[in-house]
Amino acid sequence: MSVTRMEADVIVLGGGSAGTFAAIKAKETNPDCRVVVLDKGPIETSGAIGRGMDALNIVSVPGYGSPEDVVEALTKVTEGVIDQECAYVLGRDSLPIIKDLEKYTDRKPGDLFPLDSDGNYKCSFLHPTKKALYLAMDGEDIKRGLAREVRRLGCTVLDRTPACRLLTDENGKTAGVLAFNLRTGNYYEIKAPSVILTAGCVGKFGMPRDGYLSGIYEFPGNTGDAFSMAYHAGAELVNMECFQTNLLMKDFNGPACGYVVIPRGGYGVNALGQKYWSHGYWSGDMFLAVWREFTEGRGPVYLKLDHLPEPTLKGLEKILWGTERTVRGQFHKQRDEDYHCWDSVEQGMEEITLCSGHSNSGILVNKDTETTVPGLFAAGDCAAVPQQYLTGAFVFGAIAGRMAAEYAAKAGKPGKTVDPETAWKDIVKPLNATNGLPIEQVEMKIRTKISQYLTPPKSDPLMNKMLWWVDRIRREDLPAINVCDYHDLIRATEVASITDCAEMATRASLFRTESRWGLSHFRLAYPKRDPNWDRKQVVVKKNTSTGEMECEARTVPDFKWDYPERLEYEYPQMNMDIGTGFVHPQNDFVDPWMEEKYDREGMEIPKRLFPKKGNKKEA
Amino acid sequence: MERTDCGKYEWVVVDKDKCVSCGYCVEYCPRDVLRMGEDNHPYMAYRDDCWYCDACRFVCKAEAITLETVPYLIR
Repeated sequence: MSVTRMEADVIVLGGGSAGTFAAIKAKETNPDCRVVVLDKGPIETSGAIGRGMDALNIVSVPGYGSPEDVVEALTKVTEGVIDQECAYVLGRDSLPIIKDLEKYTDRKPGDLFPLDSDGNYKCSFLHPTKKALYLAMDGEDIKRGLAREVRRLGCTVLDRTPACRLLTDENGKTAGVLAFNLRTGNYYEIKAPSVILTAGCVGKFGMPRDGYLSGIYEFPGNTGDAFSMAYHAGAELVNMECFQTNLLMKDFNGPACGYVVIPRGGYGVNALGQKYWSHGYWSGDMFLAVWREFTEGRGPVYLKLDHLPEPTLKGLEKILWGTERTVRGQFHKQRDEDYHCWDSVEQGMEEITLCSGHSNSGILVNKDTETTVPGLFAAGDCAAVPQQYLTGAFVFGAIAGRMAAEYAAKAGKPGKTVDPETAWKDIVKPLNATNGLPIEQVEMKIRTKISQYLTPPKSDPLMNKMLWWVDRIRREDLPAINVCDYHDLIRATEVASITDCAEMATRASLFRTESRWGLSHFRLAYPKRDPNWDRKQVVVKKNTSTGEMECEARTVPDFKWDYPERLEYEYPQMNMDIGTGFVHPQNDFVDPWMEEKYDREGMEIPKRLFPKKGNKKEA
Repeated sequence: MERTDCGKYEWVVVDKDKCVSCGYCVEYCPRDVLRMGEDNHPYMAYRDDCWYCDACRFVCKAEAITLETVPYLIR
């Protein structure tokens, strides 16, 4: 095996929104910093915004909102389980990244983002505050702009070369990564004192109901690799019990466009055409309302647009069909759907995922993006700054880049790591196997189990059974995977990551003995919010002595701002009286007919009647 | 009757008369779905990894690519 050995100062794992910003800012902080960016795809098109994005869903800009307003909104939607300092930084740094985006894309104010008559960036209402914190964007080209800047600054970009192992040294500090190229099979061992995890969410987690493995809301390259690598390096993860229970455009599984449509007057209705909830913000209470509509027989739900003026509808079509998921228009046309009809956008509760950008789950970080492992930073959808959206990926990606560059400048060379040869043998094993399990079937198995056993409302017996499945799949299936090439080899790493995340999600869910965040953690055995869990996070980490997964409850950092810590909703009563059912007379437990048969034949099934070829009558 | 290769079903369709074999679509597919075939035109080597994101069509300067449909299971 030929391995290319490299040394770097900062390695960025994932060249998406957060990763490209991190690389740029690391290089701007120290032009001599050797920055290596690894990605599963080419950084021009990979990640969640490869084909653009239509908004920054949370910002604070002059004339509309302050950083404190961002803190207020996020304190409410996280129901008090948040590090408020992170929320404050998210608001504080949103204006600088807006300016950065205009610079990287060569776009003028008023083109990439709308301006109002005072020259301020024009925001709309979406969040549970009296302030407008949503900024629309015509961001079709932002990813290509970011990639161009990364390359212009001289970062080393290894496209199609994802990391498959994170290395730590004998002192538990970050030491580098192992990676391989999906096409050439070239192996890389890259040593560096600092690594930034920006590998996205656990997008491939539950299965979408249409059965297409890649037919998911999140970018399918985001498979929880950062979550898993951080966990095995000894980092702490939080909010893994707060599932993202997406309300999506059914089957297409792209976003249902709510955040584009709602600020322009659209809203969600049930199958009877009734508005079923007060708002369309993706918080757990809204998902709970959707679940209620389905459970009580008023599903499916729809996004209603037909009452909007024609120019608004045309504008929506341009934005919705021109950015992010650009084949959305074609999807509608094939179904003969038209935004002039009230029921043209059917929505469904699809696959569950773990994601900080849209929900709360991820690697525990402080406002400086530091994890609990020295030299390891995290930003974007894998880092637990709740509901930070794309804004957070940029804001904290930038901070991670600066922090990692400064850390690397002071840190010495990484110490001794585990023997990479052992790790390589493990990594390439699926290539050398024969007659093993097809990777797509193993992926389907773990993901269908996740959907069946973890989808809220959460059941304790089902979750306990999920732990049995995780153990079994780890013991029997993962070691038996067989792949034919390097393209599929990374999927073995991905499936192992998904399995790790499934265990973290299950254990955290069983540890939090209450319900919170609406449907996201609606636990049937504890169907109410418990004040004892206020401001408490479930922290998941690996016990470095035993290798076992452990959970603990930990209070979030002290609050600096006093805002309401909940949203206006209640959990439903679940007393479903379905009567008694009929009762027939008791049968005997002893069946002489069956016993006699067993005594006579044993466990053999006699071959009594054979088929005959042709139409010949039996002799 | 011989078994036919039903696995050739593809929704990224390449007009081989227009395709100039520049390889941009293969280079910029974020999911590594496309590879260059023996005829020097792209094909869906890893069809079921496609996220129907449209990047291949977008980067094709020759306008040789169409996404004829979205994957059957979601259609």
